[in-house]
Amino acid sequence: MEIEHVKHKILEGRAGFPRQYGPQRADHQPGIPLFPQEATRDFVTIFLLVAIMFFLSAFVTPFLGPARSPQLSELIVPDWYLLFSWGLLKVADIFPQFTIGEGTALKTEFNAAFWGDILSGIPVIFLLILPFVDRGRETRPAKAPIRSAFGVAFLLAWIFTSSLYSIREVVAQRWVTPNGAALFPDATMKWFFVVPPVLVGLTTYIALRRLAYQPMRLWVVPYVAGLTAIMGAQIAWIFLSPNGLGPEARPWIVPIGIALAIAFAPMVVTTLALIRRPESFARKVSTWAGLTGLIGFLAFYLILPRVTNPNSLGWVLSVLWPNMNTLVFFPIFGILTAWMGTRRPYSSYEYLLNECYQCGKCHTVCPVTKVEDDALGGLNLVYNTFKKQHDGVPLWTCLACDACSAVCPLDIQYSDYILEERAKVHAKMAADGGQKE
Amino acid sequence: MGTTGDIRKDTGRTIFGWIKSRFPTVPYADLTRVVVEVDQRQMPRSHAEKYELKTIWYWYPLYCLGGISFVAFIVLTITGILLGFFYVPDGRLEISSTGDLTNPAWRSMLIIMNDIPFGFIIRGMHHWAAHIMIAAVFLHMCRVYFTGAYKKPRELNWLLGVVLLLLTIGFGYSGYLLPANNLSEGAANIGINMSRASPVIGDQVARLLFGDINTLSGVYILRFYWLHVFIFPLLTIGLIVLHMGLVWLQGVAEPH
Repeated sequence: MEIEHVKHKILEGRAGFPRQYGPQRADHQPGIPLFPQEATRDFVTIFLLVAIMFFLSAFVTPFLGPARSPQLSELIVPDWYLLFSWGLLKVADIFPQFTIGEGTALKTEFNAAFWGDILSGIPVIFLLILPFVDRGRETRPAKAPIRSAFGVAFLLAWIFTSSLYSIREVVAQRWVTPNGAALFPDATMKWFFVVPPVLVGLTTYIALRRLAYQPMRLWVVPYVAGLTAIMGAQIAWIFLSPNGLGPEARPWIVPIGIALAIAFAPMVVTTLALIRRPESFARKVSTWAGLTGLIGFLAFYLILPRVTNPNSLGWVLSVLWPNMNTLVFFPIFGILTAWMGTRRPYSSYEYLLNECYQCGKCHTVCPVTKVEDDALGGLNLVYNTFKKQHDGVPLWTCLACDACSAVCPLDIQYSDYILEERAKVHAKMAADGGQKE
Repeated sequence: MGTTGDIRKDTGRTIFGWIKSRFPTVPYADLTRVVVEVDQRQMPRSHAEKYELKTIWYWYPLYCLGGISFVAFIVLTITGILLGFFYVPDGRLEISSTGDLTNPAWRSMLIIMNDIPFGFIIRGMHHWAAHIMIAAVFLHMCRVYFTGAYKKPRELNWLLGVVLLLLTIGFGYSGYLLPANNLSEGAANIGINMSRASPVIGDQVARLLFGDINTLSGVYILRFYWLHVFIFPLLTIGLIVLHMGLVWLQGVAEPH
């Protein structure tokens, strides 16, 4: 029979495929069926996507422009996904330009275009070698702070700033001081390649370590204090050095001073609180200092042109924006880091318990299971807690002896969790006037 | 003729038998069972489901980015085939009757945009689906990076994904060269200059990719047309099949 020849092609009985059919089938796996559940969700996504495409193509017609001509006059900007490469090509002029192998077949010119090629290749090489460099087992972003911080700094911030640099001419024309100079000079935009990615990376690292309950004081204090010191030195230079403020900006020294004070004061207050006061207090200080600074700056920005000469804001920005890397980014990231590095992570021990892969070592060593009547019936403190099955027994029977944590291959601090849960119950009772529910 | 009515014995005598002896239908007919089976298929349980781990639900939408780029690719294929009926891959410069510089590729774009029924919307779909696909591919890569999904045993699939990312960018670049407008001219010049900057073989690379070491001849349009509609799709479809096949085999990597 031909059916015998094709039997091996039938997927029936293989993993994920049914052996029985129809509404009475009894071999359902506890998964989500492809039809209709998965299919419904997929079709909703697909239809939504196609609808968005139709909407965009109906209302935002793609630009065609004049036919190509060898006499190019306007600025050429490639599509957004190639801007990073174009930006790297433009920044490549900071590298030394020389030629090796002159007069031979292997003559190599290290010109800006070649440096641009090399720079554009860096992200590609990074992506290609990534799985062979990062060989740890941790997958969750928050539990792999170095990888995540590097990703945020490099894949997001650095790619963004290099894309931004590709339109430096547009930026230089669009934002100018009252006397026509660029608000974002070339040097400032070149520093965007370095300062924002580093700040983003460090802040992410500190915030993620803190999310995993690490005390981060040794990181936060030098980081924020260092940013404050650099910022203070620059502000001092602006006011004290004869080259700090240009002759045209000098009449506006009072509003400039107010703007810098609004940016700098929260940093000083936060740094002092971090150094001198307990973390919980420093966290509150950083929250209020940050909010006050933000609202103060917005109010200043809106009110200043109304109460003084409309040009005054332009002159204030002529000091702030060219020094954006220090005078603007430092307070933002400093206060953000101070807050995130001192906060109590909102996620509870469930976050850590989730590491559990149920090897059962904790149950083996748990002394409670050896003496309780339930020992033979399967009172498993950790397991019951993990399954959220505390009916009161696991929660109050635990001795917090930490034997389970000692053997846990993933270093889950189970007794900390138990103590926290008990504290929550006590707090709830206290809030209810000492009465049990 | 047999009396059992078994059609198999009629092989060679009837038209159906003649066809059937060359293309046996039973295996194919039987494969329709696969359709039924797929219809009844249960999605394989993920690691998190299997061990009842507490997952982080708000990450789940990020897991549809690969699918979104695939859907966008399908839309691009359909609209691209339609555009191919009307587009002329010829970038050679001409002088129009009014004395302006023009070229057949750009003129065919004008026809698509102004004369072909729904031409502008087909091109618009192609344009926006391309942007959505590149954005989705980049975000998909970020998702895979941040959830560590490239780790053992999925290194090979990550490498396939990197190649697919580069191919997608290649699609984008070759695609916006094709209208033969000013953007195309400028982008081709940048591309030629970057190719020529590579040591020793720079000019040969530029000639291979762009057909010439400058854009005057306009031959780069034809080169990138063929890359855009044949070479890249061929590679990309093959790699997408492998990429999705490996996901099917190895399962979705979800953090928990």
